[in-house]
Amino acid sequence: MRITDLLKKQGVLLGETPKSKEEAIDILVSLHEKCGNLSDVSAFKDGILKREEMGTTAIGMEVAIPHAKSEAVKHPALTAITVPDGVDYGAPDGNDCKLIFMIAATTDGDVHLEVLARLMQMLMDEAFTSQLKAAKSVEEFLQIIDAKETEKFPDEVKEEKGEEKGYRVLAVTACPTGIAHTYMAAEALAKAGEQLGVSIKVETNGSGGSKNVLTAEEIANCDGIIIAADKSVETARFDGKPVYSTKVADGIHKPEELINKIINKEVPVFHSDKKADAAETTQNESFGRKLYKHLMNGVSHMLPFVVAGGIFIAIAFLIDTIMGVKMDGNFGSVTPAAAWFKTIGGYAFNFMLPILAGFIAMSIADRPGLLVGIVGGLLASNGATFADPGAGKTIPSGFLGALLAGFIAGWLMKMLEKLCDKLPRALEGIKPVLIYPLAGLGIVGVMMCAVNPIMGVINTAVSDGVSEMSKNPALIIPLCALLAGMMAIDMGGPFNKAAYVTATGLLASGTNAAYIIMGAVMIGGMVPPIAIALSTTFFKNRWTAEERKNGPVNYIMGLSFITEGAIPYAAGHPLQVIPSCIIGSATAGALAALFKCTLMAPHGGIFVLATIGNALYYFLSLAIGAVVGMLLLALFMKKKKA
Amino acid sequence: MVSKKLTLVNAQGFHMRPATTFASAAGKYASSVVIKHNGKDIDGKSLMNIIAACIKVGNEIELVCDGPDENEALAETSALIESGFGE
Repeated sequence: MRITDLLKKQGVLLGETPKSKEEAIDILVSLHEKCGNLSDVSAFKDGILKREEMGTTAIGMEVAIPHAKSEAVKHPALTAITVPDGVDYGAPDGNDCKLIFMIAATTDGDVHLEVLARLMQMLMDEAFTSQLKAAKSVEEFLQIIDAKETEKFPDEVKEEKGEEKGYRVLAVTACPTGIAHTYMAAEALAKAGEQLGVSIKVETNGSGGSKNVLTAEEIANCDGIIIAADKSVETARFDGKPVYSTKVADGIHKPEELINKIINKEVPVFHSDKKADAAETTQNESFGRKLYKHLMNGVSHMLPFVVAGGIFIAIAFLIDTIMGVKMDGNFGSVTPAAAWFKTIGGYAFNFMLPILAGFIAMSIADRPGLLVGIVGGLLASNGATFADPGAGKTIPSGFLGALLAGFIAGWLMKMLEKLCDKLPRALEGIKPVLIYPLAGLGIVGVMMCAVNPIMGVINTAVSDGVSEMSKNPALIIPLCALLAGMMAIDMGGPFNKAAYVTATGLLASGTNAAYIIMGAVMIGGMVPPIAIALSTTFFKNRWTAEERKNGPVNYIMGLSFITEGAIPYAAGHPLQVIPSCIIGSATAGALAALFKCTLMAPHGGIFVLATIGNALYYFLSLAIGAVVGMLLLALFMKKKKA
Repeated sequence: MVSKKLTLVNAQGFHMRPATTFASAAGKYASSVVIKHNGKDIDGKSLMNIIAACIKVGNEIELVCDGPDENEALAETSALIESGFGE
């Protein structure tokens, strides 16, 4: 803390003529007020006077330093006056005071003591005080102080000058997910730099893009660069500078060592042409690539919910099959054990869309995005509207709505963070705990309540159209293809619901056509997971390791008529997966109708085998549809590099 | 010569008022009063020197008195520090 940082030009008056100590104090207090250092002028002045009552603050040598530590002080500051004719300040040596500094100190920290000590060290030099007393202008007064301070504390000046020019050490941190380690390493390096007294700037290549980016000028002026990263960062810009590359973990665990390596010049100079390949930039990521990264963050977090929930529900069907219960609408939750599995599995499923949206938003906007994304995803999955926020009767916007919620929530929070940069620094602390969550929740609530009714309208229109078609027996095959395809469009959204509700609604009529339609709808919901499972088995190079690992589970889910198993894949690659599944499902639906396969149970997949009429052809249709879906996936999905 | 090691206990450290009290107490004696802090010798009779040393709460110091009335000087000045200057 330098004196010249605390003493502003408006805080100094020369050639004052106060008649008394009280008048001198009034002048100095009003200077503090003018500089905006005080929140309560009279409380501060009370503090000053109280201190004077305990004994004069005149220290001899014609100098006085009145001071107060007070809640009324906004930030530590100094004011000063010179009194050429002197004023009686009750000094111990009996001399009048000609130079008076007033310290305003905040109640926290040792700034008060440090400023006092520093001022004292400087004032002990009599040549300095007489120079100050003789100063002709405020500029000259401040310049004398600055020169003296520079002479007295040369180390610090060197450091500060260094900071003006740039930073001695630069660093870049990055990790594959770009959520935690990147920032932990950045913080550790910054802290270590502070402790070692080395100026350091750290660029973070996180999932939300690069922050605190190093400029060409900073790179040119630094001693060297530390790269603590587990993925490639752009290094071409560091050509000709010492560069030390290491794991991101080293940035977290031994930041001092890294900084010392640069300072002690133990690091060889880097030439970018040598490893031009490694200089693959992450900064120039295309928009599409970024979208994909955010999407996959959501999908990979959602996967466990889908897998565990799906298997639980399949177990429930299995138990009811073994127990031989009636295969009606309650199938899967008739026996208590089945009901238990189905309920718990259902709970895991309930989190699917909130988690998807939440982690997409978190990938975009870091932690502030999480709440907004999760709530947005929940609103999408239950279909809340303004008129019906409890979502009793409305149609959910499903996983497409959740994707929308995740991205919009993420971008929204990022914008909000930018907007909030302009807020006063004092609000910094409440931004993440109050402002972001509150504003984000409000906006996402409004947004999703506006989106959901649109889905409702789509649903109604589709339902009306479908039930119109079902009245015409000649259209049964195209209708079944359409309904089966709809099951695969949004896997729980308005199209899926329209198809499913139509079929179960018709079921009550008990006609043969209704049973055929029900069969087509179920097959349409069974094809997508199976098509994907087949694809991960036979076309491994189209998928990531994680996607392949979860492939086999999709056989079980597909056969159990749990379409949700396909959602992680559809969310990750909507443009490839959804059309493939729609066509596969529609094919299976049309074939099943052609073979006049019937179904009397509204769900259950392979477990309601007993209620399927013409079962053999039903499974043939399913297999053909799934293979069609698989082949289309192989066609649409790009091969991954080995 | 007598000396005593002490730890500063008053929360605000050696700011102006304790320094004034200490310097005026030390000044009464014919003996020299030196505060050893952080490897430096500080004249305990000089208000400005004490403040300039920036001694904070918890800092360890050693008082060294030397002269005809060194025992009395050490007793009074160390008592002041131990009392925390009434803070």
